[in-house]
Amino acid sequence: MTLTAELRDLLGHDRVLTEPLERWVYGIDSGVVRGDAQLVAFPETTAEVASIVRLARHYRMPIVARGAGTGLAGGAIPTQPGLVVVLTKMNSVEIDLENATAWVGPGVINLDLSKQTDPLGYHFAPDPSSQSACTIGGNIANNSGGPHCLAEGSTVGHVLALEMVTADGDVLVLGGPAPDPLGLDLRGVVVGSEGTLGIITKALVRLTPNPPDVRTLLTAFSRVEDAAATVSGIIARGVVPAALEMMDQRMTEAVERFVSAGFPTDAAAVLLAEVVGLSAAVDAEAAIIEEVARENNATTLRVAADEAERAKLWLGRKSAFGAVAQAAPDYYLHDTVVPRTKLVETMTRVYEIADRHGIMMLNVFHAGDGNLHPLMAFDSAEEGMLARVKAAARELVEVCVEVGGSLSGEHGIGIEKRELMKLVFNEADLDAQARVRESFDPDAVFNPDKVLPAGSRCFDLGRPPLEGMWV
Amino acid sequence: MTSVRSALDGLPGQVAPIAGAPEADATVAPASIEDVETILDTASEHHLRTLVWGGGTHQGYGGRLDPVVVLSTAGLDRIVDFQPEDLTVTVEAGVRVADLEKHLAEHGLTAALPEKPGEATVGGVVAAGISGWRRARYGPTRERLLEVILVTGDGRRVRGGGRVVKNVTGFDIPRLATGSFGSLGVIAQVCLKLWPLPSAQGTVTVADGDRALAAAYRPQAVVECDGSTKVFLGGTPEEVEGQAAAIGSPVTEGWDWPGELDGDVRWSLRVPPSKLRTAINEVRADYAYQAALGVGEVVISGPDGDVDALRKWAESVGGALVLIAGPPELYARIDPWGTPPAALSLQKRIVQRFDPVRILNPGRLPGGI
Ligand SMILES: Cc1cc2nc3c(=O)[nH]c(=O)nc-3n(C[C@H](O)[C@H](O)[C@H](O)COP(=O)(O)OP(=O)(O)OC[C@H]3O[C@@H](n4cnc5c(N)ncnc54)[C@H](O)[C@@H]3O)c2cc1C
Repeated sequence: MTLTAELRDLLGHDRVLTEPLERWVYGIDSGVVRGDAQLVAFPETTAEVASIVRLARHYRMPIVARGAGTGLAGGAIPTQPGLVVVLTKMNSVEIDLENATAWVGPGVINLDLSKQTDPLGYHFAPDPSSQSACTIGGNIANNSGGPHCLAEGSTVGHVLALEMVTADGDVLVLGGPAPDPLGLDLRGVVVGSEGTLGIITKALVRLTPNPPDVRTLLTAFSRVEDAAATVSGIIARGVVPAALEMMDQRMTEAVERFVSAGFPTDAAAVLLAEVVGLSAAVDAEAAIIEEVARENNATTLRVAADEAERAKLWLGRKSAFGAVAQAAPDYYLHDTVVPRTKLVETMTRVYEIADRHGIMMLNVFHAGDGNLHPLMAFDSAEEGMLARVKAAARELVEVCVEVGGSLSGEHGIGIEKRELMKLVFNEADLDAQARVRESFDPDAVFNPDKVLPAGSRCFDLGRPPLEGMWV
Repeated sequence: MTSVRSALDGLPGQVAPIAGAPEADATVAPASIEDVETILDTASEHHLRTLVWGGGTHQGYGGRLDPVVVLSTAGLDRIVDFQPEDLTVTVEAGVRVADLEKHLAEHGLTAALPEKPGEATVGGVVAAGISGWRRARYGPTRERLLEVILVTGDGRRVRGGGRVVKNVTGFDIPRLATGSFGSLGVIAQVCLKLWPLPSAQGTVTVADGDRALAAAYRPQAVVECDGSTKVFLGGTPEEVEGQAAAIGSPVTEGWDWPGELDGDVRWSLRVPPSKLRTAINEVRADYAYQAALGVGEVVISGPDGDVDALRKWAESVGGALVLIAGPPELYARIDPWGTPPAALSLQKRIVQRFDPVRILNPGRLPGGI
C-alpha cells in the first residue's frame, strides 16, 4: 500500500488531492515561500484526523495543518515533501448562550462565527483584516490579532479549551469551561504554536457581548509625530479605546483610490479610533479623544454619524492590503511590534531604510499596541529588487528589536522569521522553547522547520534526568 | 562531589528560617538572579528538594512538601523597568503586590492583581495563577504576563515573551509559567501589562447580581458574599453614572473589596459561569462563600467535612473543587486538586524537561507531579 491509497481508503477519492496543479496550489500560503505539498487531505471528523496522523507517521511523512492559507509567514507550507491536512471541512458551530461560549470546528471562518452569533448579541472579538477568509484554527495556531485586540487582547484570551490530535494520534482536550483549569496551561502554549504541537480539531471559544453603543472617530494630522502623541495622550488620559489604527499618507492615498472611504489624502497620518460601551460612556470617551486630538493639532476630526459611515471607515482600514495588491505587482507585508512610545522613532528609521534601498514603503498599523505593518510595494521583475526587499526587511526587523520590540505582533514566525529568532532569544531561551516542542512532538512530525531555528535544542544544556523518573 | 552539608553551607543568601514555612535544612533569600542560578545548580547536583517561597499566602494550594531548601524570593525586590506610557512594568518576583499597586496607582495605573493581597508577592501570584476580582473586566493574570525570566530546576536562566503588549514571537513560556506552582523553575522576574486605573470608581449593592452583570455592560466585578451582592464600577464619571443608572440602583463612591474569607479550611469551587448559581446552592448552609459572578469561582470556607459530593458535581460540569487551605490531616486524607487533568503524561514530560532531577516543589501540581 501507499500513503495515497490508504488515505483514499479512509477518506474516499475526492478528499485526497495528488494532481500537480492541486499540489502547487497547496504548496504556498499568503507568504512568499513555496513548499512541497506531496498530498493534500480533507478530514471531516476528529477520528479521521487521528487516523491521518497515524498513517502519515507510518509512512514517515511530515504533517502540516492548514486552514485558509492566509498566513503570511509560510506557516502552512511543508518545507519538506509533506502531507497537508486542510481543516476547512470541519466547520461545526455549537453555541452555548448561557456561558457565552461556542465549540467550533477549526475550519469555521472567523467572520462567519461573528455573523452566526450576531443575532444573539455576541461576536468573536479577534478580527484580523483577513477575517472574511481566515479560519478559527488558523487564528488559534497563530494567536492572531486585529484592530479590536487593543482592548480585547489577541486570540489566546478568547480560547477556553482545545481538542487536539497529538503526534501519537491521540485526542486530548486541553483547558476547560471553568476558570483556571488544573495543571500547567497547555491550552495557552498550543495557542500561537503555529501547528507545531498538534492538529486542533475543535475549540471552545469565548463570545463577546456586542456593545450597546459605539463611537468611531476619524482624525488626521499633518505630522506623524502628532498622530503618535495623540495615541499616547488618549491612553494617558485613562482611555483604552476598542481600536486605535493609524495609516500613513501613501496608504491613505492607495485606500482612497481603491474604496473611497472618506480619508483625507493630504494628511501625513490618519488615525481611526473607536470606543464601545454604554452611550454615556462612549460620549465621554469620544469627547476625551477629540480633546487630545485637538491639542495635538488634528487637521480633521469627525465622529462617524451613523452605522453606514462607520462601516465605510472600517472598510477603508480593512481594505488596505487589497488596495496595495491592486496598485503594485508585488508586495511584502511585515509585522513587528515595538513599545508604543518608540513608534515615531521606529517609523522614521523604517522609512529611511526603504528610501536607502529605493523601495516604496507604506504603513498601516495597530498604533494602540505598537504593532507595525510596514508594507513594501515593488515589482519583482525589476532586476535585483527581491534581494533589496529582503535586505530592507531584515534591517527593519533589526531596528524594531533594537528599540525594545519583538519580531511579530500577530502574524507569527513560521519559516519567514525563524532565523531571526536569534535576534531576540539566546541559546538557553531557544532551548527551553525546543523542550516544550519536544514534549509534545519528539519526532517533529508536525510542521517541521517552523518557528525555532535549526539546532535550538542543545542537549548539552542542563542535567540528565534522574534514573527512574517518569518520562 | 562535595557533601550535601557543605553544599548547603555554600549556598548564597543564607537567612533565618521563615515563620510559617516547613522546616528545612537551609533557608536562602538570593539577592540576584545569578544567585538563584547558583542555588538551583547546586540543588539539582545534590538532589535537594527546594520549596520556593514568596509571601507565603498561597502555599495552601496543592500537595504538601518536605523541602531540604526553602528559597525565598524576598531578596528579589526591585522594580526593574517601569514604562507608564507603554503600559508595562517589569519587576522581580519578590516585589509585594501591595507595594507594586501602590506605586502604579501614583501614576494612575494598575496591574489588576488581587485587590487584598496581604503579603503576596508578584512572583507568587503568577506562580499560583491567581487573579483578582477584576478578572471579570480585565481577564485573568495569565493574560497580562508579557515576559518571564525563569530559573529552571537545573539552574538555567530562561527568558520567554517580551516587553511589548502584543507578541507572537515563539512558544508562550510566560503562559506556561503562570500557574506552574514553581514546578518548571523559579519565576525570577516578570513583565506585566497594565491598565489605566479608572478615574471614577463606585459600588452598587443589588439584589440580583446576574441581572446587574448584564445591565452594567462590563463592570469591574460582581461579587456575592453570603447573600449580599456588590457591583464594582469603574471608568469615566459618566461611565460609572451610566452603569449605575442601567442597573437602577444608587452608587456609593469608591471600592471596598471583600477581604479573604476567614476559616482554617477553604476551597475554591470552579464551574462554568452559568453554573455559578447552582454551585452556590450546592454549598452547605454552614459554609461562608464569596462568588465571582460572570467568572465562575466560589471560594468557600467551613468546617472540615465531607466534600466528595460537591467535588463530584463540580467535576461533572467541567469544573473542580480545589483545597486552598486546611490542616495537614486534611491534605493527608484528600487529594487537594481532585481528579487530575487528562493530559497528565504531557504535563509530566514538560516538567521533566525544565526540572530534570525534579527538585522544585515536587508533588505540588495535580497528579502528584
Ligand atoms: C490580507 C491579509 C490580511 C491579514 N490581516 C491580519 C490581521 O489583521 N491580523 C492577523 O493576526 N493576521 C492577519 N493576516 C494573517 C492571517 O490571515 C492570519 O494569520 C490567520 O489567522 C491565518 O488563518 P488561516 O486559516 O488562513 O491559517 P493558515 O494560513 O492556513 O495557517 C496558519 C498557521 O496555522 C496552522 N494551522 C492552521 N489550522 C490549524 C489547525 N487546525 N491546527 C493546528 N494548526 C493549524 C498552520 O499550520 C499554519 O502554521 C492577514 C493575512 C492577509 C492575507
